[in-house]
Amino acid sequence: MIKSDNSKIFLVMIFPSLISVILLTFVPILRSFFIAFQNYNFHDLSNIHFIGFENFQAVFNSVNFNFSRILLNTFLWITVSLFFQFVLGFGLALLMKEPFKGRGVYSGLVFYPWALSGFALGLIWAWMFNGQFGIINDVLRKIGLIHQNIGFLSDTRYSLISVIIANIWYGIPFFGIMLLAALQSVPLELYEAAEIDGAGYFIKLFKITIPYIKPTIISTLLLRTIWIMNYPEIIYAMTGGGPANSSNILSVQMINKIIKFLNFGEGAAIGVMIIITMCIYVIIYLKIVSREELTF
Amino acid sequence: MKIIKKFMKFIALMLYLILAVIPLYWIIITSLKDIKEVFVFPIKYLPQVISFESYRKLFVFTNFAIYFRNSLMVALIASFGALFITVFSGYAISRCGFKFKRSILISLFLTQAIPGFLILVPLYTMFAKVGMLDKLPSLMLLYINIMIPFSAIMSKSFFDRIPISLEEAAQVDGCSRVQALFKIVIPLTLPGLSAIFCFCFINTWNELFLAVMFINSDPKMTIPVALNSFISKIGVGWDILSAGIVISLIPTLVIYAFAQRHIVAGLTGGAIKG
Repeated sequence: MIKSDNSKIFLVMIFPSLISVILLTFVPILRSFFIAFQNYNFHDLSNIHFIGFENFQAVFNSVNFNFSRILLNTFLWITVSLFFQFVLGFGLALLMKEPFKGRGVYSGLVFYPWALSGFALGLIWAWMFNGQFGIINDVLRKIGLIHQNIGFLSDTRYSLISVIIANIWYGIPFFGIMLLAALQSVPLELYEAAEIDGAGYFIKLFKITIPYIKPTIISTLLLRTIWIMNYPEIIYAMTGGGPANSSNILSVQMINKIIKFLNFGEGAAIGVMIIITMCIYVIIYLKIVSREELTF
Repeated sequence: MKIIKKFMKFIALMLYLILAVIPLYWIIITSLKDIKEVFVFPIKYLPQVISFESYRKLFVFTNFAIYFRNSLMVALIASFGALFITVFSGYAISRCGFKFKRSILISLFLTQAIPGFLILVPLYTMFAKVGMLDKLPSLMLLYINIMIPFSAIMSKSFFDRIPISLEEAAQVDGCSRVQALFKIVIPLTLPGLSAIFCFCFINTWNELFLAVMFINSDPKMTIPVALNSFISKIGVGWDILSAGIVISLIPTLVIYAFAQRHIVAGLTGGAIKG
Protein backbone atom coordinates (compact mmCIF):
# COMPACT_ATOMS: atom_id res chain seq x y z
CA MET A 1 0.00 0.00 0.00
CA ILE A 2 2.68 2.48 1.03
CA LYS A 3 5.51 2.18 -1.39
CA SER A 4 8.98 2.46 -0.01
CA ASP A 5 9.89 4.83 -2.83
CA ASN A 6 9.76 7.72 -0.40
CA SER A 7 13.52 7.76 -0.27
CA LYS A 8 13.65 11.12 -2.05
CA ILE A 9 11.70 12.90 0.64
CA PHE A 10 13.73 11.11 3.29
CA LEU A 11 16.90 12.37 1.66
CA VAL A 12 15.54 15.92 1.69
CA MET A 13 14.63 15.56 5.35
CA ILE A 14 18.01 14.25 6.39
CA PHE A 15 20.03 16.61 4.21
CA PRO A 16 20.30 19.67 6.54
CA SER A 17 21.60 17.59 9.45
CA LEU A 18 24.06 15.71 7.30
CA ILE A 19 25.42 18.77 5.54
CA SER A 20 25.85 20.57 8.85
CA VAL A 21 27.62 17.68 10.54
CA ILE A 22 29.84 17.11 7.51
CA LEU A 23 30.81 20.77 7.05
CA LEU A 24 31.11 21.77 10.70
CA THR A 25 32.32 18.55 12.30
CA PHE A 26 33.86 16.07 9.88
CA VAL A 27 35.67 18.55 7.63
CA PRO A 28 37.11 20.38 10.68
CA ILE A 29 38.29 17.07 12.13
CA LEU A 30 40.14 16.33 8.89
CA ARG A 31 41.49 19.88 8.76
CA SER A 32 42.74 19.64 12.32
CA PHE A 33 44.91 16.73 11.17
CA PHE A 34 46.49 19.10 8.62
CA ILE A 35 46.92 21.97 11.04
CA ALA A 36 48.53 19.62 13.56
CA PHE A 37 51.39 19.20 11.12
CA GLN A 38 51.69 22.88 10.27
CA ASN A 39 53.49 25.80 11.81
CA TYR A 40 50.26 27.63 12.57
CA ASN A 41 50.74 30.40 15.06
CA PHE A 42 48.28 33.26 15.38
CA HIS A 43 51.16 35.70 15.87
CA ASP A 44 52.86 34.46 12.73
CA LEU A 45 50.07 33.93 10.23
CA SER A 46 52.11 34.83 7.16
CA ASN A 47 54.35 31.89 7.84
CA ILE A 48 52.11 28.84 7.70
CA HIS A 49 53.85 25.77 6.39
CA PHE A 50 54.16 22.05 7.02
CA ILE A 51 56.64 21.13 9.70
CA GLY A 52 56.10 17.41 10.07
CA PHE A 53 55.94 16.16 13.61
CA GLU A 54 57.40 19.29 15.20
CA ASN A 55 54.12 20.25 16.89
CA PHE A 56 53.86 16.86 18.49
CA GLN A 57 57.49 17.05 19.58
CA ALA A 58 56.89 20.51 20.98
CA VAL A 59 53.90 19.22 22.93
CA PHE A 60 55.99 16.45 24.42
CA ASN A 61 58.99 18.66 25.12
CA SER A 62 57.74 22.16 25.88
CA VAL A 63 56.51 21.12 29.25
CA ASN A 64 59.51 18.82 29.61
CA PHE A 65 59.06 16.02 32.07
CA ASN A 66 55.73 17.57 32.96
CA PHE A 67 54.06 15.95 29.98
CA SER A 68 54.10 12.67 31.82
CA ARG A 69 52.54 14.54 34.71
CA ILE A 70 49.75 15.74 32.42
CA LEU A 71 49.14 12.21 31.19
CA LEU A 72 49.09 10.88 34.74
CA ASN A 73 46.72 13.69 35.78
CA THR A 74 44.42 12.91 32.86
CA PHE A 75 44.33 9.27 33.89
CA LEU A 76 43.65 10.12 37.56
CA TRP A 77 41.09 12.77 36.63
CA ILE A 78 39.12 10.23 34.62
CA THR A 79 39.42 7.13 36.80
CA VAL A 80 39.10 8.67 40.27
CA SER A 81 36.24 10.96 39.21
CA LEU A 82 34.45 8.12 37.45
CA PHE A 83 34.84 5.68 40.34
CA PHE A 84 33.39 8.00 42.97
CA GLN A 85 30.74 9.48 40.68
CA PHE A 86 29.51 5.97 39.99
CA VAL A 87 29.67 4.60 43.55
CA LEU A 88 28.08 7.66 45.13
CA GLY A 89 25.51 8.01 42.33
CA PHE A 90 24.58 4.34 42.64
CA GLY A 91 24.26 4.72 46.40
CA LEU A 92 21.95 7.68 45.94
CA ALA A 93 19.83 5.77 43.42
CA LEU A 94 19.51 2.82 45.81
CA LEU A 95 18.45 5.13 48.64
CA MET A 96 15.83 6.74 46.43
CA LYS A 97 14.45 3.53 44.96
CA GLU A 98 11.70 2.99 47.53
CA PRO A 99 9.13 5.79 47.46
CA PHE A 100 9.15 8.18 50.42
CA LYS A 101 7.35 11.36 51.26
CA GLY A 102 8.66 14.27 49.22
CA ARG A 103 10.76 12.17 46.86
CA GLY A 104 9.88 14.41 43.91
CA VAL A 105 11.15 17.55 45.62
CA TYR A 106 14.13 15.65 47.00
CA SER A 107 15.20 14.45 43.57
CA GLY A 108 14.93 18.00 42.29
CA LEU A 109 17.26 19.20 45.05
CA VAL A 110 19.93 16.51 44.69
CA PHE A 111 19.92 16.17 40.91
CA TYR A 112 20.04 19.86 39.97
CA PRO A 113 23.83 20.06 39.39
CA TRP A 114 23.26 18.02 36.26
CA ALA A 115 21.64 21.02 34.55
CA LEU A 116 24.24 23.59 35.52
CA SER A 117 27.28 24.77 33.63
CA GLY A 118 30.55 23.09 34.58
CA PHE A 119 32.28 26.42 34.21
CA ALA A 120 29.97 28.25 36.64
CA LEU A 121 30.18 25.33 39.07
CA GLY A 122 33.97 25.36 38.77
CA LEU A 123 33.93 29.04 39.75
CA ILE A 124 31.67 28.28 42.72
CA TRP A 125 34.00 25.49 43.89
CA ALA A 126 37.00 27.77 43.41
CA TRP A 127 35.33 30.20 45.78
CA MET A 128 34.56 27.42 48.26
CA PHE A 129 38.16 26.18 48.12
CA ASN A 130 39.46 29.74 48.51
CA GLY A 131 42.50 29.80 50.78
CA GLN A 132 41.36 32.81 52.78
CA PHE A 133 37.59 33.09 52.76
CA GLY A 134 36.67 29.60 51.61
CA ILE A 135 33.93 27.67 53.35
CA ILE A 136 35.86 24.40 53.07
CA ASN A 137 38.87 25.69 54.99
CA ASP A 138 36.53 27.05 57.62
CA VAL A 139 34.64 23.79 58.05
CA LEU A 140 37.82 21.71 58.18
CA ARG A 141 39.24 24.01 60.85
CA LYS A 142 36.03 23.90 62.88
CA ILE A 143 35.99 20.11 62.99
CA GLY A 144 39.68 20.14 63.85
CA LEU A 145 41.05 18.39 60.78
CA ILE A 146 43.38 21.26 59.98
CA HIS A 147 44.79 24.06 62.10
CA GLN A 148 45.83 26.45 59.39
CA ASN A 149 44.12 27.39 56.17
CA ILE A 150 45.23 25.47 53.10
CA GLY A 151 45.60 27.14 49.73
CA PHE A 152 43.89 24.23 48.02
CA LEU A 153 44.10 25.65 44.51
CA SER A 154 47.48 27.34 44.83
CA ASP A 155 49.28 24.40 46.42
CA THR A 156 50.62 21.80 43.99
CA ARG A 157 49.85 19.04 46.49
CA TYR A 158 46.13 19.79 46.72
CA SER A 159 45.10 21.27 43.37
CA LEU A 160 44.37 17.98 41.56
CA ILE A 161 42.42 16.45 44.42
CA SER A 162 40.42 19.68 44.73
CA VAL A 163 39.33 19.77 41.10
CA ILE A 164 38.53 16.05 41.23
CA ILE A 165 36.31 16.56 44.28
CA ALA A 166 34.37 19.24 42.42
CA ASN A 167 34.07 16.97 39.41
CA ILE A 168 32.81 14.05 41.52
CA TRP A 169 30.16 16.31 43.01
CA TYR A 170 29.16 17.43 39.51
CA GLY A 171 28.78 13.88 38.15
CA ILE A 172 26.84 12.15 40.93
CA PRO A 173 23.42 13.32 39.62
CA PHE A 174 24.03 11.82 36.18
CA PHE A 175 24.55 8.36 37.62
CA GLY A 176 21.78 8.92 40.16
CA ILE A 177 19.25 9.78 37.45
CA MET A 178 20.24 7.00 35.06
CA LEU A 179 20.61 4.24 37.63
CA LEU A 180 17.44 5.22 39.50
CA ALA A 181 15.45 4.85 36.29
CA ALA A 182 17.07 1.47 35.68
CA LEU A 183 16.43 0.31 39.25
CA GLN A 184 12.77 1.15 38.92
CA SER A 185 12.51 -1.13 35.91
CA VAL A 186 13.58 -4.23 37.86
CA PRO A 187 10.46 -6.45 38.17
CA LEU A 188 9.37 -6.80 41.79
CA GLU A 189 8.60 -10.52 41.34
CA LEU A 190 12.32 -11.20 41.15
CA TYR A 191 12.76 -9.85 44.68
CA GLU A 192 9.71 -11.64 45.99
CA ALA A 193 11.05 -14.96 44.76
CA ALA A 194 14.41 -14.27 46.37
CA GLU A 195 12.82 -13.26 49.65
CA ILE A 196 10.99 -16.56 49.83
CA ASP A 197 14.39 -18.20 49.59
CA GLY A 198 15.50 -16.02 52.48
CA ALA A 199 17.91 -13.78 50.59
CA GLY A 200 19.21 -10.72 52.46
CA TYR A 201 19.73 -7.18 51.18
CA PHE A 202 23.20 -7.64 49.78
CA ILE A 203 22.45 -10.99 48.17
CA LYS A 204 19.49 -9.40 46.43
CA LEU A 205 21.66 -6.45 45.41
CA PHE A 206 24.43 -8.53 43.88
CA LYS A 207 22.40 -11.46 42.56
CA ILE A 208 19.36 -9.64 41.19
CA THR A 209 19.65 -5.87 41.01
CA ILE A 210 23.13 -5.47 39.57
CA PRO A 211 22.85 -8.25 36.96
CA TYR A 212 19.47 -6.87 35.86
CA ILE A 213 20.69 -3.30 35.33
CA LYS A 214 24.11 -4.31 34.03
CA PRO A 215 23.49 -2.93 30.51
CA THR A 216 22.71 0.52 31.96
CA ILE A 217 25.75 0.34 34.21
CA ILE A 218 28.04 -0.48 31.30
CA SER A 219 26.68 2.16 28.96
CA THR A 220 26.58 4.94 31.56
CA LEU A 221 30.15 4.18 32.67
CA LEU A 222 31.46 4.23 29.13
CA LEU A 223 29.48 7.33 28.17
CA ARG A 224 30.56 9.22 31.27
CA THR A 225 34.22 8.45 30.61
CA ILE A 226 33.94 10.34 27.33
CA TRP A 227 32.29 13.28 29.03
CA ILE A 228 34.82 13.47 31.85
CA MET A 229 37.63 13.40 29.33
CA ASN A 230 35.99 15.94 27.07
CA TYR A 231 34.63 18.57 29.42
CA PRO A 232 37.51 20.33 31.15
CA GLU A 233 35.43 23.35 32.19
CA ILE A 234 35.77 22.64 35.90
CA ILE A 235 39.57 22.59 35.82
CA TYR A 236 39.66 25.56 33.48
CA ALA A 237 37.53 27.56 35.92
CA MET A 238 39.24 26.42 39.13
CA THR A 239 42.96 26.35 38.38
CA GLY A 240 43.49 26.65 34.63
CA GLY A 241 45.67 23.56 35.02
CA GLY A 242 48.06 25.13 37.48
CA PRO A 243 49.95 25.69 39.60
CA ALA A 244 52.92 24.31 37.66
CA ASN A 245 50.75 21.81 35.75
CA SER A 246 49.79 20.09 38.98
CA SER A 247 46.13 19.93 37.94
CA ASN A 248 46.66 20.06 34.18
CA ILE A 249 45.10 17.47 31.88
CA LEU A 250 45.31 17.00 28.10
CA SER A 251 42.17 18.89 27.18
CA VAL A 252 42.98 21.83 29.45
CA GLN A 253 46.48 21.96 28.01
CA MET A 254 44.93 22.11 24.56
CA ILE A 255 42.59 24.94 25.51
CA ASN A 256 45.48 26.86 27.03
CA LYS A 257 47.61 26.41 23.92
CA ILE A 258 44.82 27.77 21.73
CA ILE A 259 43.14 30.43 23.81
CA LYS A 260 46.05 31.71 25.91
CA PHE A 261 49.07 31.16 23.66
CA LEU A 262 47.29 31.25 20.28
CA ASN A 263 49.50 28.41 19.12
CA PHE A 264 47.00 26.73 16.84
CA GLY A 265 49.40 24.11 15.53
CA GLU A 266 50.27 22.65 18.91
CA GLY A 267 46.67 22.99 20.06
CA ALA A 268 45.51 21.04 17.02
CA ALA A 269 48.21 18.42 17.67
CA ILE A 270 46.85 17.78 21.17
CA GLY A 271 43.33 17.81 19.72
CA VAL A 272 44.32 15.12 17.23
CA MET A 273 45.74 12.98 20.03
CA ILE A 274 42.49 13.31 21.98
CA ILE A 275 40.32 12.64 18.91
CA ILE A 276 42.23 9.45 18.08
CA THR A 277 42.00 8.25 21.69
CA MET A 278 38.28 9.02 21.74
CA CYS A 279 37.61 7.25 18.46
CA ILE A 280 39.39 4.10 19.61
CA TYR A 281 37.44 4.33 22.82
CA VAL A 282 34.07 4.83 21.10
CA ILE A 283 34.69 1.92 18.73
CA ILE A 284 35.37 -0.34 21.71
CA TYR A 285 32.31 1.18 23.36
CA LEU A 286 30.09 0.40 20.39
CA LYS A 287 31.50 -3.12 20.17
CA ILE A 288 30.68 -3.82 23.80
CA VAL A 289 27.37 -1.98 23.94
CA SER A 290 25.89 -3.19 20.66
CA ARG A 291 26.35 -6.71 21.91
CA GLU A 292 24.59 -5.88 25.14
CA GLU A 293 22.04 -3.24 24.56
CA LEU A 294 22.32 -0.74 21.75
CA THR A 295 19.87 -1.56 19.01
CA PHE A 296 19.99 0.68 15.99
CA MET B 1 16.14 -3.05 63.80
CA LYS B 2 13.80 -1.69 61.21
CA ILE B 3 13.77 1.70 62.89
CA ILE B 4 17.57 1.83 62.94
CA LYS B 5 17.64 0.99 59.27
CA LYS B 6 15.12 3.71 58.49
CA PHE B 7 17.08 6.20 60.55
CA MET B 8 20.36 5.34 58.79
CA LYS B 9 18.66 5.77 55.46
CA PHE B 10 17.29 9.13 56.53
CA ILE B 11 20.75 10.27 57.64
CA ALA B 12 22.28 9.15 54.34
CA LEU B 13 19.61 10.96 52.32
CA MET B 14 20.16 14.10 54.39
CA LEU B 15 23.92 13.94 53.84
CA TYR B 16 23.44 13.78 50.08
CA LEU B 17 20.98 16.66 50.26
CA ILE B 18 23.28 18.87 52.31
CA LEU B 19 26.29 18.17 50.11
CA ALA B 20 24.25 18.84 46.98
CA VAL B 21 22.82 22.12 48.19
CA ILE B 22 25.83 23.71 49.90
CA PRO B 23 27.57 25.08 46.78
CA LEU B 24 24.36 26.68 45.54
CA TYR B 25 23.59 28.06 49.00
CA TRP B 26 27.10 29.40 49.38
CA ILE B 27 27.18 31.28 46.09
CA ILE B 28 23.71 32.77 46.62
CA ILE B 29 24.62 33.87 50.15
CA THR B 30 27.87 35.36 48.91
CA SER B 31 26.06 37.33 46.24
CA LEU B 32 23.62 38.72 48.83
CA LYS B 33 26.27 39.82 51.31
CA ASP B 34 27.58 43.29 51.70
CA ILE B 35 31.11 43.46 50.29
CA LYS B 36 32.58 43.91 53.80
CA GLU B 37 31.02 40.62 54.78
CA VAL B 38 32.23 38.77 51.70
CA PHE B 39 35.84 39.35 52.65
CA VAL B 40 35.70 38.95 56.37
CA PHE B 41 37.39 36.55 58.70
CA PRO B 42 35.99 34.38 60.22
CA ILE B 43 33.53 33.83 57.41
CA LYS B 44 29.82 34.35 57.92
CA TYR B 45 27.33 31.61 57.12
CA LEU B 46 24.40 33.98 57.24
CA PRO B 47 24.62 37.57 56.12
CA GLN B 48 23.95 40.24 58.75
CA VAL B 49 21.98 42.21 56.20
CA ILE B 50 20.71 41.17 52.81
CA SER B 51 22.29 43.48 50.29
CA PHE B 52 21.71 43.69 46.56
CA GLU B 53 24.74 45.92 46.14
CA SER B 54 26.66 43.20 44.23
CA TYR B 55 23.83 42.91 41.72
CA ARG B 56 23.62 46.67 41.35
CA LYS B 57 27.34 46.85 40.66
CA LEU B 58 27.12 43.96 38.23
CA PHE B 59 24.57 45.75 36.10
CA VAL B 60 26.12 49.22 36.47
CA PHE B 61 29.80 48.38 35.96
CA THR B 62 29.33 45.73 33.28
CA ASN B 63 26.94 45.21 30.36
CA PHE B 64 25.41 42.19 32.05
CA ALA B 65 21.91 42.87 30.72
CA ILE B 66 23.32 42.73 27.20
CA TYR B 67 25.25 39.52 27.90
CA PHE B 68 22.08 37.99 29.27
CA ARG B 69 20.11 38.98 26.20
CA ASN B 70 22.83 37.60 23.91
CA SER B 71 22.93 34.30 25.78
CA LEU B 72 19.16 34.01 25.72
CA MET B 73 18.97 34.79 22.02
CA VAL B 74 21.72 32.39 21.04
CA ALA B 75 20.41 29.54 23.21
CA LEU B 76 16.79 29.95 22.09
CA ILE B 77 17.50 30.24 18.38
CA ALA B 78 20.07 27.45 18.41
CA SER B 79 17.75 25.11 20.33
CA PHE B 80 14.78 25.82 18.06
CA GLY B 81 17.02 25.47 15.03
CA ALA B 82 18.48 22.17 16.15
CA LEU B 83 15.06 20.83 17.05
CA PHE B 84 13.51 21.93 13.75
CA ILE B 85 16.25 20.34 11.67
CA THR B 86 16.43 17.12 13.64
CA VAL B 87 12.68 16.49 13.79
CA PHE B 88 12.87 15.83 10.06
CA SER B 89 16.15 13.95 10.23
CA GLY B 90 15.11 11.86 13.18
CA TYR B 91 11.88 10.98 11.43
CA ALA B 92 13.66 10.08 8.21
CA ILE B 93 16.21 7.92 10.03
CA SER B 94 13.44 6.22 11.96
CA ARG B 95 11.27 5.45 8.93
CA CYS B 96 13.70 5.03 6.08
CA GLY B 97 14.87 1.73 4.77
CA PHE B 98 18.24 3.13 3.81
CA LYS B 99 21.03 0.64 3.62
CA PHE B 100 23.26 3.22 5.23
CA LYS B 101 20.88 3.90 8.14
CA ARG B 102 23.24 2.23 10.55
CA SER B 103 26.28 4.11 9.27
CA ILE B 104 24.44 7.43 9.59
CA LEU B 105 23.59 6.62 13.19
CA ILE B 106 27.10 5.50 14.01
CA SER B 107 28.66 8.59 12.48
CA LEU B 108 26.24 10.78 14.42
CA PHE B 109 27.17 8.84 17.51
CA LEU B 110 30.89 9.29 16.85
CA THR B 111 30.54 13.06 16.58
CA GLN B 112 29.02 13.06 20.05
CA ALA B 113 32.37 11.91 21.35
CA ILE B 114 34.01 14.94 19.78
CA PRO B 115 32.77 18.11 21.42
CA GLY B 116 33.08 21.49 19.78
CA PHE B 117 36.24 22.61 21.50
CA LEU B 118 38.35 19.78 20.10
CA ILE B 119 37.90 21.29 16.65
CA LEU B 120 38.22 24.90 17.79
CA VAL B 121 41.20 25.62 15.56
CA PRO B 122 39.87 24.41 12.20
CA LEU B 123 36.48 25.97 12.91
CA TYR B 124 38.16 29.24 13.79
CA THR B 125 40.24 29.33 10.61
CA MET B 126 37.24 28.34 8.49
CA PHE B 127 35.06 31.08 9.94
CA ALA B 128 37.90 33.60 9.73
CA LYS B 129 38.20 32.98 5.99
CA VAL B 130 34.59 33.95 5.35
CA GLY B 131 34.66 36.85 7.81
CA MET B 132 32.27 35.27 10.28
CA LEU B 133 34.25 35.82 13.48
CA ASP B 134 32.84 37.79 16.39
CA LYS B 135 29.26 37.37 15.18
CA LEU B 136 26.41 35.90 17.20
CA PRO B 137 24.85 34.13 14.18
CA SER B 138 28.10 32.17 13.79
CA LEU B 139 27.76 31.01 17.35
CA MET B 140 24.15 29.98 16.74
CA LEU B 141 25.20 27.99 13.70
CA LEU B 142 27.93 26.21 15.65
CA TYR B 143 25.58 25.46 18.53
CA ILE B 144 22.93 24.06 16.21
CA ASN B 145 25.62 21.83 14.79
CA ILE B 146 26.86 20.51 18.13
CA MET B 147 23.28 19.70 19.18
CA ILE B 148 22.31 17.92 15.95
CA PRO B 149 23.71 14.43 16.67
CA PHE B 150 22.14 14.17 20.09
CA SER B 151 18.73 15.52 19.06
CA ALA B 152 18.64 13.43 15.89
CA ILE B 153 19.38 10.22 17.79
CA MET B 154 16.88 11.15 20.50
CA SER B 155 14.05 12.16 18.18
CA LYS B 156 14.65 9.02 16.12
CA SER B 157 14.17 6.94 19.26
CA PHE B 158 10.92 8.79 20.02
CA PHE B 159 9.60 8.26 16.49
CA ASP B 160 10.50 4.58 16.69
CA ARG B 161 7.85 4.20 19.38
CA ILE B 162 5.05 5.53 17.16
CA PRO B 163 3.56 2.69 15.13
CA ILE B 164 3.86 3.19 11.38
CA SER B 165 0.30 1.95 10.94
CA LEU B 166 -0.96 5.31 12.25
CA GLU B 167 0.69 7.16 9.39
CA GLU B 168 -0.38 4.56 6.89
CA ALA B 169 -3.96 5.04 7.97
CA ALA B 170 -3.59 8.79 7.54
CA GLN B 171 -2.06 8.31 4.12
CA VAL B 172 -4.93 6.11 3.08
CA ASP B 173 -7.17 8.98 4.08
CA GLY B 174 -5.28 11.19 1.67
CA CYS B 175 -2.58 12.80 3.81
CA SER B 176 0.84 13.17 2.30
CA ARG B 177 3.77 11.83 4.29
CA VAL B 178 4.76 15.30 5.48
CA GLN B 179 1.17 16.07 6.50
CA ALA B 180 1.00 12.80 8.38
CA LEU B 181 4.23 13.75 10.14
CA PHE B 182 2.83 17.09 11.29
CA LYS B 183 -0.72 16.04 12.05
CA ILE B 184 -0.11 12.69 13.70
CA VAL B 185 3.46 11.88 14.58
CA ILE B 186 4.68 15.20 15.97
CA PRO B 187 1.71 15.77 18.30
CA LEU B 188 2.25 12.29 19.72
CA THR B 189 5.96 12.90 20.35
CA LEU B 190 5.58 16.45 21.65
CA PRO B 191 6.64 15.62 25.24
CA GLY B 192 9.78 13.98 23.94
CA LEU B 193 10.53 16.83 21.56
CA SER B 194 10.16 19.41 24.32
CA ALA B 195 12.62 17.38 26.39
CA ILE B 196 15.08 17.62 23.50
CA PHE B 197 14.51 21.36 23.36
CA CYS B 198 15.20 21.75 27.08
CA PHE B 199 18.33 19.64 26.79
CA CYS B 200 19.58 21.76 23.87
CA PHE B 201 18.84 24.97 25.74
CA ILE B 202 20.73 23.84 28.83
CA ASN B 203 23.75 22.79 26.79
CA THR B 204 23.94 25.85 24.56
CA TRP B 205 23.32 28.22 27.46
CA ASN B 206 26.26 26.65 29.30
CA GLU B 207 28.71 26.42 26.40
CA LEU B 208 32.02 28.16 27.08
CA PHE B 209 34.97 27.44 24.80
CA LEU B 210 33.46 28.01 21.35
CA ALA B 211 32.02 31.26 22.62
CA VAL B 212 35.32 32.39 24.17
CA MET B 213 37.09 31.63 20.91
CA PHE B 214 34.60 33.21 18.54
CA ILE B 215 33.39 36.26 20.45
CA ASN B 216 35.77 39.10 21.22
CA SER B 217 33.87 42.35 21.40
CA ASP B 218 32.09 43.24 24.59
CA PRO B 219 28.57 43.89 23.25
CA LYS B 220 28.49 40.43 21.70
CA MET B 221 29.59 38.43 24.72
CA THR B 222 27.44 35.65 26.08
CA ILE B 223 27.34 35.11 29.83
CA PRO B 224 30.04 32.42 30.05
CA VAL B 225 32.40 34.60 28.00
CA ALA B 226 31.66 37.54 30.25
CA LEU B 227 32.23 35.54 33.45
CA ASN B 228 35.48 34.28 31.97
CA SER B 229 36.58 37.84 31.23
CA PHE B 230 35.64 38.95 34.76
CA ILE B 231 38.17 36.58 36.28
CA SER B 232 41.08 38.56 34.94
CA LYS B 233 39.43 41.97 35.10
CA ILE B 234 40.72 44.34 37.72
CA GLY B 235 37.99 45.63 39.99
CA VAL B 236 35.74 42.63 39.53
CA GLY B 237 35.91 40.71 42.77
CA TRP B 238 34.04 37.76 44.17
CA ASP B 239 31.12 40.00 45.11
CA ILE B 240 30.29 40.95 41.51
CA LEU B 241 31.36 37.57 40.15
CA SER B 242 29.06 35.71 42.54
CA ALA B 243 26.11 37.85 41.46
CA GLY B 244 26.92 37.10 37.82
CA ILE B 245 27.20 33.38 38.52
CA VAL B 246 23.84 33.29 40.30
CA ILE B 247 22.10 35.05 37.41
CA SER B 248 23.77 32.70 34.93
CA LEU B 249 22.32 29.71 36.79
CA ILE B 250 18.72 30.93 36.92
CA PRO B 251 17.46 30.04 33.41
CA THR B 252 18.79 26.47 33.49
CA LEU B 253 17.52 25.99 37.04
CA VAL B 254 14.06 27.18 36.02
CA ILE B 255 13.96 24.89 32.99
CA TYR B 256 15.24 22.04 35.12
CA ALA B 257 12.60 22.66 37.79
CA PHE B 258 9.77 22.59 35.28
CA ALA B 259 10.96 19.96 32.87
CA GLN B 260 12.94 17.65 35.14
CA ARG B 261 10.55 14.72 34.80
CA HIS B 262 10.38 15.16 31.04
CA ILE B 263 14.09 15.44 30.52
CA VAL B 264 14.86 12.53 32.80
CA ALA B 265 12.27 10.31 31.12
CA GLY B 266 13.59 11.29 27.70
CA LEU B 267 17.22 10.76 28.62
CA THR B 268 16.80 7.46 30.36
CA GLY B 269 14.44 6.11 27.75
CA GLY B 270 16.15 7.35 24.64
CA ALA B 271 19.79 8.30 24.75
CA ILE B 272 21.21 5.26 26.40
CA LYS B 273 19.21 2.70 24.54
CA GLY B 274 19.98 4.42 21.23
